[in-house]
Amino acid sequence: MPEIVLDQLCKSFDGHVAADSLSLRIADGEYVCILGPTGAGKTTCMRMVCGLTRPDSGRVYLDGRDVTDDSVDSRNATMLSQTYALFPHLNVYDNVMFAPRIKGWPEDNSRQIVRSMLHMVHLEQKADWKPDELSGGQQQRIALARALASGSKVLLLDEPLRALDARLRINLRKELRSLAKEMRLTCIHVTHDQDEALEMADKIAVIRKGRIIQFGTPRDVFENPATPFVANFVGRSNTLVGKVVSSGDETVVEMPSGARISARGSDLQAGSDAVVTVKTGFTKLVRASDDQVQGAFLEGTVERVLYEGVTITVEVRVDGIGLISAGLPNRKYDDYSAGDRVGISWIPSKASVFRMPPEGLEEEMRLD
Amino acid sequence: MSLLKRIDELSGSSKVRKAWFSFACAIFLVVIVIPSIFVVTNLVTDWDLVSMVAQDEAIRSTIIGAVANSFSIALIVTVIDILVGLPMAWIMVRKDFSGKKWLDTLLDMPLAFPTAVLGISVVMFWVAPEGVNIPGLGLNLSPYMLLVLLHILFTYPYMVRSLSAILEQIDPNYETAAMTLGASRWTAVRTITIPLFRAGLATGFILCFARSLSETGGTYIALSMMDVKSSFFTGPSFISWLKDTEPGGGALMYSSDEMMGAQILISVVMIVLALILLIVVRRLIARFHFPMDKVWPELGRKVSRGALPKAKDFVTIAFLIVVVLLPAFYIFMYLAEPASDIDYGGLLGSIGISFLVAGVAVVVDILIGIPMAMYIARHKGQKLGQLLDSVVNVPLIIPTTALGVSLALFWGSLGLDSTFALLLVILGHISFTYPLVVRNLVGAIEEVDPAYEEVAMTLGAKPFQAFRKVLFPIVKSAVIAGGILAFTRSLGETGATLAISPTMNTVPVYITNLVNQHAYSEAAMCSIVLILICFVIIFGLRMITNRRSRRNA
Repeated sequence: MPEIVLDQLCKSFDGHVAADSLSLRIADGEYVCILGPTGAGKTTCMRMVCGLTRPDSGRVYLDGRDVTDDSVDSRNATMLSQTYALFPHLNVYDNVMFAPRIKGWPEDNSRQIVRSMLHMVHLEQKADWKPDELSGGQQQRIALARALASGSKVLLLDEPLRALDARLRINLRKELRSLAKEMRLTCIHVTHDQDEALEMADKIAVIRKGRIIQFGTPRDVFENPATPFVANFVGRSNTLVGKVVSSGDETVVEMPSGARISARGSDLQAGSDAVVTVKTGFTKLVRASDDQVQGAFLEGTVERVLYEGVTITVEVRVDGIGLISAGLPNRKYDDYSAGDRVGISWIPSKASVFRMPPEGLEEEMRLD
Repeated sequence: MSLLKRIDELSGSSKVRKAWFSFACAIFLVVIVIPSIFVVTNLVTDWDLVSMVAQDEAIRSTIIGAVANSFSIALIVTVIDILVGLPMAWIMVRKDFSGKKWLDTLLDMPLAFPTAVLGISVVMFWVAPEGVNIPGLGLNLSPYMLLVLLHILFTYPYMVRSLSAILEQIDPNYETAAMTLGASRWTAVRTITIPLFRAGLATGFILCFARSLSETGGTYIALSMMDVKSSFFTGPSFISWLKDTEPGGGALMYSSDEMMGAQILISVVMIVLALILLIVVRRLIARFHFPMDKVWPELGRKVSRGALPKAKDFVTIAFLIVVVLLPAFYIFMYLAEPASDIDYGGLLGSIGISFLVAGVAVVVDILIGIPMAMYIARHKGQKLGQLLDSVVNVPLIIPTTALGVSLALFWGSLGLDSTFALLLVILGHISFTYPLVVRNLVGAIEEVDPAYEEVAMTLGAKPFQAFRKVLFPIVKSAVIAGGILAFTRSLGETGATLAISPTMNTVPVYITNLVNQHAYSEAAMCSIVLILICFVIIFGLRMITNRRSRRNA
């Protein structure tokens, strides 16, 4: 099983930088999601692994071997395209048979492989069908079967679930991941859908402007974002800006309004500008009528309550700061209504704190 | 098999791929583009001949008149095509009715007729000249009027096709949206849909204009049937007339120096004007703004309701039948006549030559057209891609007769003289059919998601394997359609063949010669035989490809 190493890859298209000394090490059998906004260089990164795009500089290693100059067909890294690219002139069977035929494997052996792949994706009975007679989910499965039948141990998935209905998309997440694990593949899965990445990946690589800005487990990326951008991009966060009062085991930051909030420990200089981010799910509300309101960091007025199914979001207007959202379980729906005074708090260790980025917060948070 | 495998292996090297593309480019430049416009250099090398002709008052005014006729006829024809073609395209794309398939096939039929045949048929229908026993309408039309009617026949299908192609791409929801916003149908079409047509109009305009400008065989036959071939000229008919050794032909009136000078002069004038026009039209149509601010809701509403839309459809269909279909098929009236003696040996010989020329040209077109089309389709955003995209059109806009003159001079200067006539004629036919094949292919390849080939390669296919196992099967029908178009176009071409070698007896030349000898009924019978053979081939090809794709289904 191969390990994938990207070493200092650079690539630009007509001045647009798609990879900026991008380095990444993906271990054997790992399922890695590359997550980033549109135009961040996700797809370029993946195409450089399979050889469809040649880096301007840097090296690509598969299984310890430098493959940077190798052709696409010799790399044994198979791509699953977001449009599936099932060859329209071939039926399902011949599509899956494509790689075994191209590689000239013995016919008996190939037939067996194709049959077992079709069996694995539960579509044996569709072998004679043409791709355009299949539903989106079936096409997706056949594309996967075709990729698996090639025998390559590296699977590159380019937004593989994008074209599917929302419901099907969520069902297929588990299926895709367990198949990959069963076949002991090393996978790179490109997506801009954070829920997909959080649910499927062993590790998530957050990419922006051609650089990997964080590479870690889903929990790590969600709870300990490396930058304000990651905090904002992966899961919804409240973002607060103020001046550091003290740091150490806990960081205290003073808001322009004078309120003081606490975040996890840091070594930020007292008096410097800081950004605090708290996931909406970690943001707690305290009714102003309760005694505990004194313990809250901020106080505000409920502006509206959104019903979202399993969860609700309560939007609170805080003077001098703006809207703060809190994600709560839906049984609390009746507890809040517009106009209520509430206090806002969180466990300090669940709030991240960052030095104010030199190019400003707005630039840092931009999604392009 | 081993050869394919070897190519598969070779295609893995990017150097080999570059070399192959460069080779296709080089062939395109050396065999197609440069010979097509080579005659311009003769302006310098043969300046004494040209200036001698240019100073001759009679020849000069004849040439100016001929060029003026060519361009004004082409303009009138194209404008009529647009006016009548738009509603026709509408009917073909937006309406559903029984018999639509038939209409669709009928529309294309004039394209399968050699223009020389159309020339005979049209003159028979409108004028009924002396020597023709079939009664026509017997109208007393001027040669100019008749040529307009003739040229509409073989340009109209092109216009309807290019407009339909664009209309199919325009989402009817735009119109619906405009109508829900309060516009009447007429206003919605005028302000929303027609402006979106620009690209299709430009293509249609250029195609029709170029086709009309180029046409030689039908024009010359019509003029000679009306007995005005030595007094009324278009650019191409003038060149044909210069080479005409029959009584009344120009070959008997001028010295060979005068002929050469006159040919060079008129060819250069036609080529240069056509190229300028191509550029100007592209620019103009891109800049042209439809008047959008002014809206006449009352008028719009009136025009959209009641009898008017129906009257429009009626006039459109009536035009198609009376001006296009009846005159085109009128030649079949000869089937009712007692059979005349046809020299079947001569006819079959010339059919053989025609098929050889067209067949070889189409095969070469496809072989060197595919790498070119792939490059253009996949590099639309890059400079070289865009440049090639426009240069490919050059042989299409140049009048084929001028192209033939140019080609003969180019290869002649390299020592290929009339002993290589067959080869030269094939090269000439490659030139003007190549753009048709490439255009079709570029359109088809652009529609194909590059992911197909990319995925095939990540599955282990070498680039050539990805091409022959994935891309080619997907665009196969476009290759065949382009091939058929090029084949029929080559089969019908008279002007270029005559300009390159007057002795090369392709079918249209053979028919033209019969007409010149006033052997109308033989000419008509030969035409009918040719048309039938064309249809059999086209339908045969379509049947085979349809059955194949159905078997795969």
